[in-house]
Amino acid sequence: MQVRLQIRRSDPATGETRLQLYQLDHVRPAATLLDCLEEIKEEQDGTLAFRRSCREGICGSCAVRIDGRTALACRTSVAELLAGGRIPLITPIGNLPLIRDLVVEMEPMWQKMRSVQPFLSPTSDSPGEGRETVVSPALLEAVHKEALCINCGACISECDALTVSPEFLGPHALSKAWRLVGDPREPATGRRLQELSREHGIWECTRCYLCNERCPKGVDPRDAIAKLGAEAFAAGVTRDRGARHARWFVTSARTTGWLRESELVVKTLGVAVSVTKIPLALRLFRRGKAPLPLPRHKAKGLEPARALQRIVAGQDRRGARGIVQGERVLARIELVRVPEPPEPEAEDF
Amino acid sequence: MSSRTTRRAIVYGLDDVESSHDVLVIGAGCAGMRAAIEAHDAGADVALVSKLHPTRSHSGAARGGINAALGNAGEDSPEAHAADTVKGSDYLGDQDAIELFCKEAPGDIYQLERWGALFDRDDEGRLAQRPFGGAGAPRTVHAADVTGHVLLQLLYEQLLARDIRVYEEYFAWRLVIGEAGCEGVLAWDLARGGVKALAAKAVILATGGSGRVYQGSTNAHACTADGMAMALRAGLPLEDLEFVQFHPTTLVPSGLLVTEAVRGEGGYLLNADGARFMRHYAPEAMELASRDVVSRAEQTEIDEGRSIGGSLLLDLRHFGPEKMRERFHGTRDLAITYAGIDPLERPLPVRPGAHYHMGGVATDVDGRTEVENVFAAGEVACVSLHGGNRLGGNSLMETIVFGRRAGRAAAEQALKKSGSAELGSGARSDGERELARLLERREGERPKAIRDELGASMNENFGVFREEEKMRRQLELLENLRERYEEVLVEDKGAVWNSDLSQALELGFQLDLALCMVSAGLERRESRGAHSRPDDYPERDDRNFLKHSLVRWTNDWLDLSWKPVTITKWQPQRRTY
Repeated sequence: MQVRLQIRRSDPATGETRLQLYQLDHVRPAATLLDCLEEIKEEQDGTLAFRRSCREGICGSCAVRIDGRTALACRTSVAELLAGGRIPLITPIGNLPLIRDLVVEMEPMWQKMRSVQPFLSPTSDSPGEGRETVVSPALLEAVHKEALCINCGACISECDALTVSPEFLGPHALSKAWRLVGDPREPATGRRLQELSREHGIWECTRCYLCNERCPKGVDPRDAIAKLGAEAFAAGVTRDRGARHARWFVTSARTTGWLRESELVVKTLGVAVSVTKIPLALRLFRRGKAPLPLPRHKAKGLEPARALQRIVAGQDRRGARGIVQGERVLARIELVRVPEPPEPEAEDF
Repeated sequence: MSSRTTRRAIVYGLDDVESSHDVLVIGAGCAGMRAAIEAHDAGADVALVSKLHPTRSHSGAARGGINAALGNAGEDSPEAHAADTVKGSDYLGDQDAIELFCKEAPGDIYQLERWGALFDRDDEGRLAQRPFGGAGAPRTVHAADVTGHVLLQLLYEQLLARDIRVYEEYFAWRLVIGEAGCEGVLAWDLARGGVKALAAKAVILATGGSGRVYQGSTNAHACTADGMAMALRAGLPLEDLEFVQFHPTTLVPSGLLVTEAVRGEGGYLLNADGARFMRHYAPEAMELASRDVVSRAEQTEIDEGRSIGGSLLLDLRHFGPEKMRERFHGTRDLAITYAGIDPLERPLPVRPGAHYHMGGVATDVDGRTEVENVFAAGEVACVSLHGGNRLGGNSLMETIVFGRRAGRAAAEQALKKSGSAELGSGARSDGERELARLLERREGERPKAIRDELGASMNENFGVFREEEKMRRQLELLENLRERYEEVLVEDKGAVWNSDLSQALELGFQLDLALCMVSAGLERRESRGAHSRPDDYPERDDRNFLKHSLVRWTNDWLDLSWKPVTITKWQPQRRTY
């Protein structure tokens, strides 16, 4: 099989980048993108720089962008990339400073990970030398996915919120944070949730779900962020604007069944700040882009929606237990025993 | 939120490193990190040097588990664990070290759990344990099939909790030996370029194994015998290098490992006739016989024409979707991605592949070596815990028990010395000259052909089965490859991220080590554990070879000697499963 790849090269001295085309003529059909990078380096161009080690998707070294999508080179079938006769474009992952060619500086990612204190807090009541802490397997299941993270940076690369706001903790550090907040052995969850709910924390995520989409290990970082948010709510940590914003969605869904956007501004920003937004609101209204706050109306079929909310509330799904997102999670959820649903309260339910 | 910045960074502008520490750990896998944590807790100023970020280390590839006689899943004891390990080693393991290891293992497991290890639980919430090859009781603690990954992340967390410094992506390639022993190491800074001289009062080698000496190894690209070769060049003896474990279930064609746990949980092996051939080789233990036994059975089936193009079949279809998803999602994923086969639908093609080096830098139970201030722990070391063959689940435990012990001993040794560590003045310029010679060469052969020939010939001539003639041929071939290596070309002349340079240096390590391995193999005229010579010396010979081989490099000459095996309770017996 013939393979052609366009790779973005860079000169570390000047920072200049250029595209270079490589061609391999005898690639085996099952080869991965990493196999091809290796062959280029070993046989054609020793100066091509990239990281790699395990070649089986567990060390997290070789994340790159392929036609813009981040993936591990070692888990990418090159035959699939070539479908349609395209020449794949291989570039370094995003949102991290470039070192050379496909190698980026990961330190900003590690720095954020360190900032969430990613280790179980030492406890004074830990068991003696003799035995393990007894913990039910179901409770530990809460952090199962997040523990699979290999620190490859794919989520960082894809995160639009990070591009706009470089100080955002980001999907990687926040998944790690959930790994600890969700651990039944962790004593300091309250303090952690307070810290994570501050500016550039949980609520800065824009919920684009690209981190879930691209994570090669099924960590689903957005789900972890949602779990942190839900736990913060359950713990009464709701002062951040992001939390107030989220809370208004729930309130307006429960009361009128639709999102009351005009009030959302007030509920999120507070009255004082909202006043400064009045000129903007008027302009939006004039162009037909904002609804009038009054008169209020109720959405049709509101009662079944409320019934659904009551069903969920009856399942003890407070906090992180209420977070069910992502296809992989849905595949797991069938194992969870749910109580018999009550009779539907309306025909259009 | 607290913010820590503890290490080099290009973007954060740490100019140059000429550092000095009490203890320097080379390699940041499980053994290295465990050693660093212990040295720190013992009061030493410790730093790690690693060519990879710690969580990218190959310990993360260990899947099935970690052995300790907790007795959670059935009656067990450290004595039973020791007896199994001694038998598994084909009586070449040092029994004092084995007894100590098995006795200390449970306490280490509990400590890992308290640090936050996500081990699987039984219904009562205690640590679950599963059966593993060569073990008489369900003894293997596990985290699904990602146990090594979970431990590697955990130890990194504990490193961060202590703010221990890591010289990350520093390629250490030379130990500096002075009059009073080791003074530190030289490393090439991969990200920025340049030779960095790191002084230390004690150095712990924890660089892992040498699997990449073989083609089709289960090991990561990074497993290139760095620490063993550095030790050899510094005059340290390497022990039992002829013993390489071939894992029975590596996926064809990639060489990736399919965990032994799938056999522990009921997977079986079939030959081309669809027969469970293990009943002819190990009628009791069947697929759960010791790894060397299963690999030899497979190689025999292959050699006698009962394979499918050199592969046997690993059948997991009967697991069903639920068990597969709960316990082996990683394995299924691996098979689908790299072999295009869903193990729920078709059996997987497997063959024996180089997996683990039982031999390594000779140490005592505290990681001490023959050279003052040099310690070693983990796969790079030979305590000897594994003797002629390692049991699955014992190597992760080894990284923890002996990593901890080496860390403690190195710290104590370092803290006895006053002042700060210093390197002899010429060390760094010596290193710079060595690399300059390599970088200034404008013509020569790329490393690839040499590396490929090394790997293929080691498989062919020093694989599962060995014989005199093939080993002699291999020594000649290695001499030839080493000559060619003298003219190897590093095409990349740059400073920043020059992996062309580090990979050429790695090839040098591998060539040195291969020479030692085959030399030791030639001299061991018996079959024991993973060293099998069915044609010329088919039997174990306790009278002449119940002893460890030691290879050292003196005056450009390989010197082979022997040292006795320590026997406490278990006299050698015939080893059957």
